[in-house]
Amino acid sequence: MALSTRASAMTDIAPRPAPRRWLRQLLRRPLAATGFAIIGLFLLIVALAPFLAPYSPTRENLRTRYLPPGEGVSWRGPDGQFGLWVSPVTRHPTQGITLDAGRQYPVRLLVRGESWTWLFGLLRSDLRLFGVDGPVRFHLLGTDELGRDVLSRLIHGAWISLFIGGIAVIIGIVVGVPVGALSGYYGGKFDLVVQRLIDIVLAFPGILLAIVLVATLGTGLTNVMIAVGIASIPIYARLVRGSVLSLRDREFVDAARALGRRDLGTLFRHVLPNALAPVIVQSSLQMAVAILFAAGLGFLGLGARPPEPEWGLMLARGREYLATAPHVATFPGLAIMLVVLGFNLVGDALRDALDPRMK
Amino acid sequence: MFTYFFRRLLAALPAIFGVIVIVFLIVRLAPGDPALMLAGELATPEILQLTRERLGLDKPWFINTEAFLEQGNPLALFDTQFTAFIVNLAQGDLGASTRTRSPVLTELGNFYPATLELALGAMIVALLIGIPAGLIAAVKPNTIVDYFVTLGALIGVSMPVFWFGLLAILFFSVQLGWFPVAGRGTLAHLVLPAISLGAGSAAIIARMTRSAMLEVLSQDYVRTARAKGLAQRLVINKHAFRNALIPVVTITGLQFGTLMAGAVLTETVFTWPGIGSLLVTSILARDYPVVQGAVLLIAISFIVINLLVDMIYGAIDPRIRYD
Repeated sequence: MALSTRASAMTDIAPRPAPRRWLRQLLRRPLAATGFAIIGLFLLIVALAPFLAPYSPTRENLRTRYLPPGEGVSWRGPDGQFGLWVSPVTRHPTQGITLDAGRQYPVRLLVRGESWTWLFGLLRSDLRLFGVDGPVRFHLLGTDELGRDVLSRLIHGAWISLFIGGIAVIIGIVVGVPVGALSGYYGGKFDLVVQRLIDIVLAFPGILLAIVLVATLGTGLTNVMIAVGIASIPIYARLVRGSVLSLRDREFVDAARALGRRDLGTLFRHVLPNALAPVIVQSSLQMAVAILFAAGLGFLGLGARPPEPEWGLMLARGREYLATAPHVATFPGLAIMLVVLGFNLVGDALRDALDPRMK
Repeated sequence: MFTYFFRRLLAALPAIFGVIVIVFLIVRLAPGDPALMLAGELATPEILQLTRERLGLDKPWFINTEAFLEQGNPLALFDTQFTAFIVNLAQGDLGASTRTRSPVLTELGNFYPATLELALGAMIVALLIGIPAGLIAAVKPNTIVDYFVTLGALIGVSMPVFWFGLLAILFFSVQLGWFPVAGRGTLAHLVLPAISLGAGSAAIIARMTRSAMLEVLSQDYVRTARAKGLAQRLVINKHAFRNALIPVVTITGLQFGTLMAGAVLTETVFTWPGIGSLLVTSILARDYPVVQGAVLLIAISFIVINLLVDMIYGAIDPRIRYD
């Protein structure tokens, strides 16, 4: 490793800024900081989902179906005091929503509610960040067709999107990067075959490849992950091949070879580390794409199955009663857009920061 | 020109062949009996047997060594399922839908025009929004307008197309009643689907136009044009924009494919009777002959469009020569 740094310093590579300073510069860009903040927020939501969500994502209540956001919630208490106060609300089959304004219960922080388990039973508690102190349920973002709390479902669905995106990106990197690196480094027949194969795969534009794979593998969350992952392999392979091609004839590579390193050693110790910057950028953008694809498959009914609180699936269910309860479809879409925007912002910022021409 | 065209066509053939192989494999790699999948779950034993014979399902997939060793005839090597598939395909025989019992080709013929119409409409929307937005942002870089376009483009690429479609229906159809909620027919039916499908592409085209224009505007010949006192409008239109077109055309061509794929989602949202909604319905109904046909059609359309984009390059940039 020391050798490669010396070799590259001798040739043409400008000294890189120290990582910490580089990160600080990155975070000073408002858009980049926004992106990191959004991703951080969603990671926090994933980690603390049952604590943050006021209710269980699957608990149904047929007496409170299709409640609009914030129904029964008011700013003033029974004696005019300020705060969030909740009155019992029920939906009657014929009379619509009835509100019992005479009873009001306060919303408090750190309330004991339904008990929950998390991380495969490792964590167990009934403490929630906020909830009503009283025998009533409140729904800040309304309820869906089975009376489930939309906010709780959104919070519990966050991990699905991020997990699918993460696994898909990992599949793409683990397969795509070595294939692209070998293809670019060795060239010749292997390269030709790989490139033709990639041409074929890329002939299925956008989400179509994932749809074809799901049609073959069958529907369900696991297959969606695999499908979206496979769909991102050619993108990584192309990208890394390009970088490796431009690097493999540089002097520090020659130096490594001249010093007797074997081919694969040169490739993985000297060439590939220098080709990874675009991979990092692509991974952020690819995360965005993967989340969109997964949500799309969920929306089409090819992904997660009910009662899974997957955002695309929630949107699809909400579509059926768009005119009467638009909030059921609106909020999951907003969540998808926000998290995708976060990854796009970070990806763009990383690209600009790593591209020396964009100074 | 023609030699170039044929060379490009020739280069596209392996991809087309590969697409055919993948479509051939969909049914065979999926869990379950291919005969059952292609004849439908309600098929009688006679129909199943007929399907097996017609598609040669008792034979190997690609290479029939057994027949070769038995008969000693090299041609027997290709007495396979894949050969049967290709021969049927060449005759336009993709089998029959297990749902409607009508030939797949007829089904595709019924649904394809709607998808083309939608994709074309979305492309027009994307170009009408994307190019002017990108141009304005590039001409006035780092102004409010530029930030507005950049942020709008970011939101455009981040928005799930199906969600945007639903919001459009909610607002313009349900609340305002300006456009029909679903279906196809008049121009009014096309407006919302085209806008929601085109929005993402508009964002990408805007970003590409902006960066290409910024690059061109910093060139010496643009400075020369300005120095000799040409009006800003002339500099932008005649000197800068034409030279910025190449990457924009490339990305537009690629977007057309994305639009065809995105149509799957948009068509489902708006119940638009196109190939995309046909594909989804067929997957959910396990109507595999139609799945095969729809996938084949979309992928080959994409390849052909990319071929056409290559042709257009020459028309807008005389520096690219076809030899």
